[in-house]
Amino acid sequence: MKKDQEISHEKGYERLERRGISRRDFLKLCTLSCIAFSLDLGFASKMAEAAAANLTKKPLIWMQGQGCTGCSESLFSSADPEPEQILLDLLSVRFHPTIMAAAGDQAIGSWEHCLEEGNYLLVLEGSIPTADPRFCTVEGRPFLEQFKKAASKAEAVIAVGSCACYGGIPRAGFTGAVGAQDILNGVKVVNIPSCPVKPDRLVGTLLYYLSKNQLPRLDKHGRPLAYYRWTLHDSCHRRLHYERGEFLRDWNDPKTADWCLYYKGCKGKEVFTNCSSYWWNDGVNYCGYSGSPCAGCSQPEFYEQFSPLFDNPKEVK
Amino acid sequence: MAKRIVVDPVTRIEGHLRVEVEVENGVVVDAWTKGTMFRGIEKIIQGRDPRDAVYIAERICGVCMASHGWTSAMAVENAHGAILPPAARLIRNLLVGALWLHDHPLHFYHLSALDYLDVLAIAGYQGKDQNLLTVKDKIMKLVEAGDTAPLTPRYEPDDFSIRDPEIVTSALAHYLQALQIQAKAKKMSAILGGKQPHQSSIVVGGVTIYPTDQQLEQFKQLLEEVVDFVKKVYVPDVVFFATGPLLSLAQAGFGAGTGNYLAYGAFPMDDSGREKLFEGGFVSSSQPEKVQQVDLTKITEAVTSSWYQESLPAHPWEGTTEVDLDKSGAYTFVKSPRYNGLSTEVGPLARMTVARHKPFLKLVEEYAIKPGAVARHLARAQETVLVADAMFEWLKDLEHLLKRGKIHNSLRPDIHDSKHWEPPRRGRGVGLNEAPRGALGHWVEIDDHKVKNYQIVVPTTWNVSPRDDQGIPGPIEQALIGIPVDPHNPVNLVRVIRSFDPCLACAVHVISSDGDKMIRI
Repeated sequence: MKKDQEISHEKGYERLERRGISRRDFLKLCTLSCIAFSLDLGFASKMAEAAAANLTKKPLIWMQGQGCTGCSESLFSSADPEPEQILLDLLSVRFHPTIMAAAGDQAIGSWEHCLEEGNYLLVLEGSIPTADPRFCTVEGRPFLEQFKKAASKAEAVIAVGSCACYGGIPRAGFTGAVGAQDILNGVKVVNIPSCPVKPDRLVGTLLYYLSKNQLPRLDKHGRPLAYYRWTLHDSCHRRLHYERGEFLRDWNDPKTADWCLYYKGCKGKEVFTNCSSYWWNDGVNYCGYSGSPCAGCSQPEFYEQFSPLFDNPKEVK
Repeated sequence: MAKRIVVDPVTRIEGHLRVEVEVENGVVVDAWTKGTMFRGIEKIIQGRDPRDAVYIAERICGVCMASHGWTSAMAVENAHGAILPPAARLIRNLLVGALWLHDHPLHFYHLSALDYLDVLAIAGYQGKDQNLLTVKDKIMKLVEAGDTAPLTPRYEPDDFSIRDPEIVTSALAHYLQALQIQAKAKKMSAILGGKQPHQSSIVVGGVTIYPTDQQLEQFKQLLEEVVDFVKKVYVPDVVFFATGPLLSLAQAGFGAGTGNYLAYGAFPMDDSGREKLFEGGFVSSSQPEKVQQVDLTKITEAVTSSWYQESLPAHPWEGTTEVDLDKSGAYTFVKSPRYNGLSTEVGPLARMTVARHKPFLKLVEEYAIKPGAVARHLARAQETVLVADAMFEWLKDLEHLLKRGKIHNSLRPDIHDSKHWEPPRRGRGVGLNEAPRGALGHWVEIDDHKVKNYQIVVPTTWNVSPRDDQGIPGPIEQALIGIPVDPHNPVNLVRVIRSFDPCLACAVHVISSDGDKMIRI
């Protein structure tokens, strides 16, 4: 029995190597994901093996509703794994409007073919208009219907970015914009909110799913606990100043540069995200470190209930 | 008998675009460009704290986000009466300049190149370059595994496709290299902007970040690496394609457009804002040698073919548009901006034409290249060099300013106009700028400390505009008319469309919710 398993693992790695990705790189990636999901680091090799065995089989459909393509751009800003690995090594990207070679009928054909085959992951970027289906159409058909169709046959549905999860900024408009979970009945949706999606959260969630064949633990808003367990405030580097009642009032004042941003509108106290401990763009920065207040983009309340973004009640909550 | 061809979705652009053309005897005789997604961003901004506008406007587009954030800040600052401190100007130039350095190469390699490359010709590569052999190996493994998505399916390679294995392999190697480079350029924006996409450090009145030495050093290292790629790989590739395999297309003026060009200008070189890296101006097809000063009162927007209630063409300030999805004759969410009534192109070709940029004009003259799809790629590459060179200057100027701050706190440069942070009771402002895709304008009116009206006229609205009240088609529609197309393999359509680098999320918006008359600037 044990020997059989080893053989199947070898096959997985062979497949991986055929696609030009080294075992070492892949293990590194899995180790990072283990840290995020609070898994024992010893699980990294198991994760790598299981994910590797599945890799060549896992097609992906990426659909865009009322969005800005920022989440796609964000995926390609990932430094580890690099965009090339995501595109060519980790996934079989059957439909992605921004990157695929095909257009028009061929693109739709590729989408339909993938639906027939099944066993794919479905990613949604952007919100879905419900006030009138004509606010978003593809191939002359309502996006709402096409997305539902794709979701009904998907192995898992992942909503990336605040718009796809909860409606985001478009929800504040009049198109009836909602997130994936609002229009799908009986389909479990993983929400990976923020504006745009943070690439390591998406890739980590994909790896978790590929290796364990199940979705990670989610909180009540459908977010993987691994990334949304604590508030931004909990590990903010300005936290000590908050406790001391020291607040930044003027960005020009060098003495107060790393003081609390509450009076600049920071929503970090009520926002569940790990931005303040795992920074963006290969870890170079995040909003709070660059002096700008958290806008709360990973919460269902975003944007409307957090407006005005640069103001807060006079009394510190 | 004309045959109608539909391409929907047009992929490898930003957003939702549908294109319909009529083909007769293998030539496009009519064309319609249709924006098919609507969010209503401007209405979301109305009634809000004006400072929120910068954050929301940024989300108009996830590709040229910082350009929108910056332009929105310009408009609101204008309304607040805020003056941008020199250090903040330089930080914005650097942050947004980095965006251009990722955006232009990405457009060439990842959004356009596949239209001209027979990717599978890589199988015939016989050279000994180790790097190219690795790329060949990588692609061939995908082929052997029977899974070449997303490189296939594709339109069939045609007479204008490059099939030389050496060229194709080298271009694909650069495609993969450019994927890494664009991520590094985004990292540069994030160093100064907090994150990218959707930076957060540009706020009304300035920026929130006072960069450390370490951050600037990191920025500089990445800048050197990215610029090295731009100058040694990206620009030579584009020039090689334009003057080599694609020269016949370039000389034929394939996908010409209207010949009317508009630019507002961008990247202030001094605090007066008068001198800019990109000059503004207007050139009309009837007087191609004359660069006219931009007169904003000549801008009108028609909604004849758009899903908005009918009204007369109006200046952006006077828009009275409400969505009307049942309007007969309408076919798009995009409106028809016109300059002096003319269907006008914006973007790199417009900027280089208006600026009379010498290196670009020299190339065009030397190789007898006419305005069109290939010239657009060439113009885009040439202006990337302009930005790349300016970045080092801005960085030097910023370092100089910050150095003075180390001598004494009193010499420390401001990064924010804090006196004008709170929204005024009333005010109005305009921000005129260039996004990578062309001339970008934001207009704001504040009343009772809130946004009363917000208007955006973005580059792709000009380029993807539909027929106006006079029945004149938009620039892309006109560029498509006359090109040869195989109805079973309409690759030429997407070649022309993508040369404009359309961004539909930007292009679609609604203005003025209540029909209130706004000021004329």
